[in-house]
Amino acid sequence: MSTAEPHDDPTVGGARRTALNEDWAATIVGLLLLALVLTGLVPGWLVP
Amino acid sequence: MSSAPDTGDIGSETAEAPAQDAGTSPSAGRAVGGVVAVLVLGGLARYLEQTVPDATDGTAFGEIAAAIEYPVYAIVLGLLGNVVLTQLGLRDRLAAGFRTEFFIKTGLVLLGASINFAVIVSATGPAIVQAVVLITVVFAFTWWLGGRLGLDDKLRALLASAVSICGVSAAIAAAGAVQARKEQLAYTASMVIIFALPSIFLLPAAVDALGLDQAVGGAWVGGNIDTTAAVTAAGAIVGEEALQIATIVKTTQNALLGVVAVALTAYFTLRVERRAVSARPKARELWERFPKFVLGFLAASIIATIYIGAVGSADARPYITIVNDLRTLFLILAFVSIGLEFRVAPLREAGWRPVGVFASATVVNLAVGLGLAVLLFSGFSAAT
Repeated sequence: MSTAEPHDDPTVGGARRTALNEDWAATIVGLLLLALVLTGLVPGWLVP
Repeated sequence: MSSAPDTGDIGSETAEAPAQDAGTSPSAGRAVGGVVAVLVLGGLARYLEQTVPDATDGTAFGEIAAAIEYPVYAIVLGLLGNVVLTQLGLRDRLAAGFRTEFFIKTGLVLLGASINFAVIVSATGPAIVQAVVLITVVFAFTWWLGGRLGLDDKLRALLASAVSICGVSAAIAAAGAVQARKEQLAYTASMVIIFALPSIFLLPAAVDALGLDQAVGGAWVGGNIDTTAAVTAAGAIVGEEALQIATIVKTTQNALLGVVAVALTAYFTLRVERRAVSARPKARELWERFPKFVLGFLAASIIATIYIGAVGSADARPYITIVNDLRTLFLILAFVSIGLEFRVAPLREAGWRPVGVFASATVVNLAVGLGLAVLLFSGFSAAT
């Protein structure tokens, strides 16, 4: 149980790291867009 | 999903994505090319969704066109793009740009802004009950059937996690936990997507045929389809309220992935491999495997709820409408990516037994999930 990261296969580890990064990226981008819209910095005509 | 994490579903982690991550990462140029392909097809899907109903109004195709939701255009165009790019020999080169996970999670964070936080609070109770029961029953059945058919323990763990929790994300987390081989992960990811694609269309049709209301239909969709992206597509086809409930249910399942991943790690270390590594699962592991986008989803709901309360519904509506349009754009990009990533070759290479296990587990998931959805969500309303 480790504590250690149990993925010997670098492919599996790579997939997990990519997914983790996308997780945070999606959270940041989503909240940033929400903030921009609510503050009026993204007008409706800009969004098709 | 995550890295451990999490979530939901499809994407980068698709069938061949793990292989790409393995050693040489694709060039940035190829990734950009893939993103451009997604954007072009997504733009076309958005254009068709907005213009076809009006253009066909009054014609024989008019009623059908009016009933076609944006996920249908996006997925079909993604599949067509898949065929064209494959024929041109470009699909695999551009695959690094098909970021389903990123697009779907960004869309779900934005979706949070359209759901009053009170709805999330009231739906989370039944959603947790449904998730715990479904995950337990479906995981146990899949593990048992896989054992009866002689599947490798690691593949059993991947299949059981994928079908019972949240698809590719769960498979990735489980693969890390049990030290699965990349072929097993790629195979499981392919199977998830192949089963999810038809379910996007079949489950909404079943919801309609069974006469389920929006909440029950949404809960059924959210509890059964493996990948978060496919859940969102199917929920959108059923309706807005169904989409909200399906998302809450699926997000709850995603949040439980960390618990399952840690439990798998402990089980394989102590029981299957009998390694003498003592250690209790640490809180840090749970956090690492927790799908962080869930936090964004909740934060967006809280922010929008407070904002609407502060400025009033009427003044807030135009801004929330813009957020909803942005959400639709990201979901379209995710659905296009699903179509672009679709592959059937890995299934032919793996034989019938894993497919049989996955199909049987899906049937069990459907039956138990329908019962739980009716039991827990009948009469539930997302209206506030």
